[in-house]
Amino acid sequence: MTQIAADPIAPEPHAPDFDAVPGAQVKGRSPWQLFWSRFRKDRVALVGLAFLALLVLIALTAPLIADLVGHDPNDRFQREMTDEFGLPKGPNGEFWFGADQVGRDVFVRVAYGARTSLMVALFATGVALGIGTVLGMVAGYRGGWVDTAVSRTVDIILSMPVLLFAIGIVAACSTTAEGCLGGLVKPGLPLVVFVISVFSWPYVARIVRGQTLSIREKEFIEASRSMGAGGGRIMFREVLPNLMAPIIVYGTLLIPTNVLFEASLSFLGLGVPQQIPSWGRMIADGGALFDVAWWLMLFPGLFLLATTLAFNLVGDGLRDALDPRTQA
Amino acid sequence: MRLRRSRGILAVAAAVALLAAACGGEEQPRQEGQDGDLSGGALRIQMESFVFECNFDPTCEFVSYALMMQTNSFLRPLMNYRHVADDPGLEILPDLAADMPEISEDGLTYTFTLKDGVMFGPPVNREITSQDVAYAFQRMASQQQGNPYTYYYEGVVEGFELQKSPAEDIEISGIETPDDKTISITLANAVPDILFRLAMPATAPIPQEVASCFPQSGEYGRFVISSGAYMFEGSEDLDISSCESMEPIAGYEPDRTLNLVRNPNYDPATDNPEMRSNNPDRFELSVNTNVDDIFNKIVAGEADSSPDDPPAKFLRQFADDRERLPINPVDVLWYIGMNLTQAPFDDIHVRKAVNLAIDKDGLLRAAGGSLVGGVATHILPPTMGGPEAEDYDPYATSGFAGDADLAKEEMAQSAYDTDGDGICDAPECSGILHISRNEAPWTEFNPIIEDNLEAIGIELETREIEGGVAYELVSTTSENVPIASHAGWGKDWPDASTFFEALFTSGAIQAGAGVNNNVGLVGITSEINEERELGIEGNLGDIPSVDVHIEECIAMELGQARIDCFNEVDRTLMEEVVPYVPYRWDLESHLISENIAKWEFDQNAGEMSFAHIAVAS
Amino acid sequence: MTQYIIRRLMWVVLVLLMITLIAYVIFFVMPPVDPARAFAGKRPTPELIETLRHQFGLDQPFYVQYGRFVQRLFLGDEYGWPGFGFSYATRSPVREELFQRAVITIQLGAGAAVVWLLVGIPIGIVSGIKRGTLVDRAAMGFALFGVSAPVFWLGLMFLFIFWQKLGIAAGTGYVALSENPVEWFGHMIMPWIVLALLFAAFYARMVRGSLIETMGQDYIRTARAKGLSERRVVVKHGLRASLTPIVTLFGIDFGTLLGGAIITETVFNMPGLGTYVVQSVFRGDLPATMGVVVLGALAVTVMSLVVDIVYAYLDPRVRYT
Repeated sequence: MTQIAADPIAPEPHAPDFDAVPGAQVKGRSPWQLFWSRFRKDRVALVGLAFLALLVLIALTAPLIADLVGHDPNDRFQREMTDEFGLPKGPNGEFWFGADQVGRDVFVRVAYGARTSLMVALFATGVALGIGTVLGMVAGYRGGWVDTAVSRTVDIILSMPVLLFAIGIVAACSTTAEGCLGGLVKPGLPLVVFVISVFSWPYVARIVRGQTLSIREKEFIEASRSMGAGGGRIMFREVLPNLMAPIIVYGTLLIPTNVLFEASLSFLGLGVPQQIPSWGRMIADGGALFDVAWWLMLFPGLFLLATTLAFNLVGDGLRDALDPRTQA
Repeated sequence: MRLRRSRGILAVAAAVALLAAACGGEEQPRQEGQDGDLSGGALRIQMESFVFECNFDPTCEFVSYALMMQTNSFLRPLMNYRHVADDPGLEILPDLAADMPEISEDGLTYTFTLKDGVMFGPPVNREITSQDVAYAFQRMASQQQGNPYTYYYEGVVEGFELQKSPAEDIEISGIETPDDKTISITLANAVPDILFRLAMPATAPIPQEVASCFPQSGEYGRFVISSGAYMFEGSEDLDISSCESMEPIAGYEPDRTLNLVRNPNYDPATDNPEMRSNNPDRFELSVNTNVDDIFNKIVAGEADSSPDDPPAKFLRQFADDRERLPINPVDVLWYIGMNLTQAPFDDIHVRKAVNLAIDKDGLLRAAGGSLVGGVATHILPPTMGGPEAEDYDPYATSGFAGDADLAKEEMAQSAYDTDGDGICDAPECSGILHISRNEAPWTEFNPIIEDNLEAIGIELETREIEGGVAYELVSTTSENVPIASHAGWGKDWPDASTFFEALFTSGAIQAGAGVNNNVGLVGITSEINEERELGIEGNLGDIPSVDVHIEECIAMELGQARIDCFNEVDRTLMEEVVPYVPYRWDLESHLISENIAKWEFDQNAGEMSFAHIAVAS
Repeated sequence: MTQYIIRRLMWVVLVLLMITLIAYVIFFVMPPVDPARAFAGKRPTPELIETLRHQFGLDQPFYVQYGRFVQRLFLGDEYGWPGFGFSYATRSPVREELFQRAVITIQLGAGAAVVWLLVGIPIGIVSGIKRGTLVDRAAMGFALFGVSAPVFWLGLMFLFIFWQKLGIAAGTGYVALSENPVEWFGHMIMPWIVLALLFAAFYARMVRGSLIETMGQDYIRTARAKGLSERRVVVKHGLRASLTPIVTLFGIDFGTLLGGAIITETVFNMPGLGTYVVQSVFRGDLPATMGVVVLGALAVTVMSLVVDIVYAYLDPRVRYT
């Protein structure tokens, strides 16, 4: 898993500005309208967005797809689709993506895998964004010991060998049925989400803190303060809206990292349990058989690649659209 | 611009690398040996990990590949086997002993005379004496050495008691060494299979002047002195003038490489050629964590063999080639174990229903098909139970595929199926913890097992965990695991007692983490539970026991009657106790390179035979 | 300056202690299974397990064990300094194994670093300068691919295509440099490329973005207005400013790699710290695991320290934070 940049390019923060383009006769457009018209022009990003929409559709309609094809993701067709050595058979008229080592339909599993990847990535990223934003904002705004405490924690977590600790936590928490933290983190999906969030939030916090620090010095904040607004109010009313843009951009770029993180954990055998199809796990299972069963690794791999690619394209597009300077 | 230039360099480098790789391995000079032109060469073995559980220290090691290496090539216990396949490989013969022992009138004292001219390898360089054999027993009795087989000698050899003292201070009254060449072992009770116990590599002679420097379990493993035909490469450089001066022998780097070379002090005239051919000049073992790569290398001729199971695609590739892919039966059973004290498995109808429901053929396919084993229809592998037992299948289903209807019929007789429709509806049948392993082929088994049991209403919650951890969890009585499919069991020596005693007697049930192998808890009573503080929570009433029956069989003399007796126990267990669903009897398939001129299999160890294998050059 | 260094060094020690403590909790305290059992054999007796627990030092309370661990680490043990204890699996000192494997991981990391810096940064610069052109689009397309592809998938694909099908690359495994330099290179080149690809792509994007932002700054416009050649503007003013964030990032990335590139090492079967630690965690060999954790954490913190000191040397303002 790669480290995310400490400071991605983020738009210059400013107070919400409703002025029209100077000299224009038409009604002024809000920053969001401006953003959308710029984003719309980025064709590559639109392609990414379209794919993501398709992916969400697939994820939502996976059971329908299974019904249409007639195979459930966990239905085994061992005798039809594996040979006497337990090796799977490839794509044919009924199994469009072939079968896996126990005769399950890869096509249906890839569709269900979209759910897993999206769910894990969205949940984990959401949690990480939530925690990271709050902590980063508070640290940046308040300063003092709060800042020190949060920053030091962030530093420590960022210095940890991430995958290694993830392995350790998952290994430690998977052995019993109740899991860790007194049943809060059960083995399987919740554990994976937990581990990913724990290691993602520091990146968010660091960036949010940096942004908050520069926003803090702006005049409109000064103005609010002099009007008597309290710290909390300022943070959530004035600072946060200006953080939205980098948060969205950053979140969109964080999601593919987390998708790959889940895939990596699954590759090492530590991801979600078998009944829940996961692209990472399918690639891992298919990895050893690649030379005799190319379909096992190719299809989930392509979908994984396409998904992360799409998120990256959209994230790039968002970033370019939100940052007026890149139009120079 | 820069990119293109780099690519140029890369291309050249790649080409050079290709050439270098193609120019293959080393040539070994031929040598005259026992087998004429089969002698010489280096046998290159790669394995995923050495897996040595005790660092190759013979006193505490128990991994079968290590035991094979030790009994075949490295050490010479009093008794040994021929290290060949099938029945001839299961016969016990004298090795360090000059002849079969003299047995006293009362059948309790076995006196052995040692052969002349058997010497320890460098740097010890002296003749082996009976005191060296006695010392090996003392080491086993020393608790800190961590020998896992003390129960084979405690209560068997008189005066053999596990003690906290170091080996040098221990005295075993039942072992006497009247002179350098004579050792007599007195038993506390007549034990018909005592000779097998004296073939374990832990009983092979150990030089006290070296081993006494290593009081902790496993430490001696990097300094093992050979008493056999081969030794660690570099043994002669070991400085044994004092404990502090000893540096680990270069030939063995734990988890990396292990090289064996000929022991210059070994005299073939003191050995039995049926037992050892000693063909290769060297054995080179190395670790390669990528199993696929190991077998690709074997196919390409860059390695010769591996103890690891060949992945299914290699089995398919060489399915008809018995020369490149020899297959031997081993005496190993893989089974699903059910805990008789845990609902719903406390009901014999449920256990029988499970036996009928499991698709054993499916499990076999998932494991690699008929080249990796046969469907197990009862407990004792046919290689140990003899041909009479082979057709016994108390839960026969068409094609071994399991039969949901038959299973439902059985389930309907259980109290857990309240409406008698064959599908369990009691709350005890849902959310049942099932322990399995997190690697292939278990990851392929689990969907099958879960599906099979769902058909009779049993919902499993499967936990896939690492093998060692699984053993620990399930073998802890206080964990009360209801059902587990991670386990297999193999013999310790060619006798059925090594299956039944540890797996099905109430005496074998002990408290403590990971200690209990009788996971079905056959023979348990609530008195035993309290007395030994086992922490079992469940239904302890009326659990069947086969203690008496097994004891009878153990007391019998070796021979057909004893085998028949154990076959009877097997039937009783399968029909009246039903603690297991046995699903596979293993076949060992080995993929070997074209470099191997002669293949041999050690039936006792269940591994390739170092003693007789030969390499071409 | 010295004060700054001292302060930062103390921080390094503190971070190390925190990380090892957390690791200790995760690996020693949390697992419900007893490591001693895993090494006690097929039919262990309670006495045997007790013996092993005592030999492994597991019969002490957690804080005593941790205290001993820290003491051994900083003051050395009977096997040398620093003291990592002995491995449960091999009953030999962890230190030897650790250092041997560290050498291999460093080779992997250093080689990959050279590749990704040589590839990523120039691509990023060229892209940034020739923004919007075909070159830029192609380069960013490649970068996007590199950032999106899962490392393990890429590695397996490379092996399949270049080793199995085309036969132009060596297989997995490691050959020591001293043994055979040509084969050493042949075995390292694919892992280097696979590992570097991800970072190169990432750095290319970062450099491009950073350069574009820097070039949009006022002082660049001023430099241009002053009549400096475009090349001078870019190299002298633009690059310097845009590359500084890369330096920090490189420090952290390289440091992390030194702790073991787990996935690359696994796919290519390199006997480095990455495979060692995965093996150890799964086997319950705790001292070995802790050894790798310590080395990994040390690598990251020391690299960050080095980078920060270099910064502080270049920019005095930093020293007073």
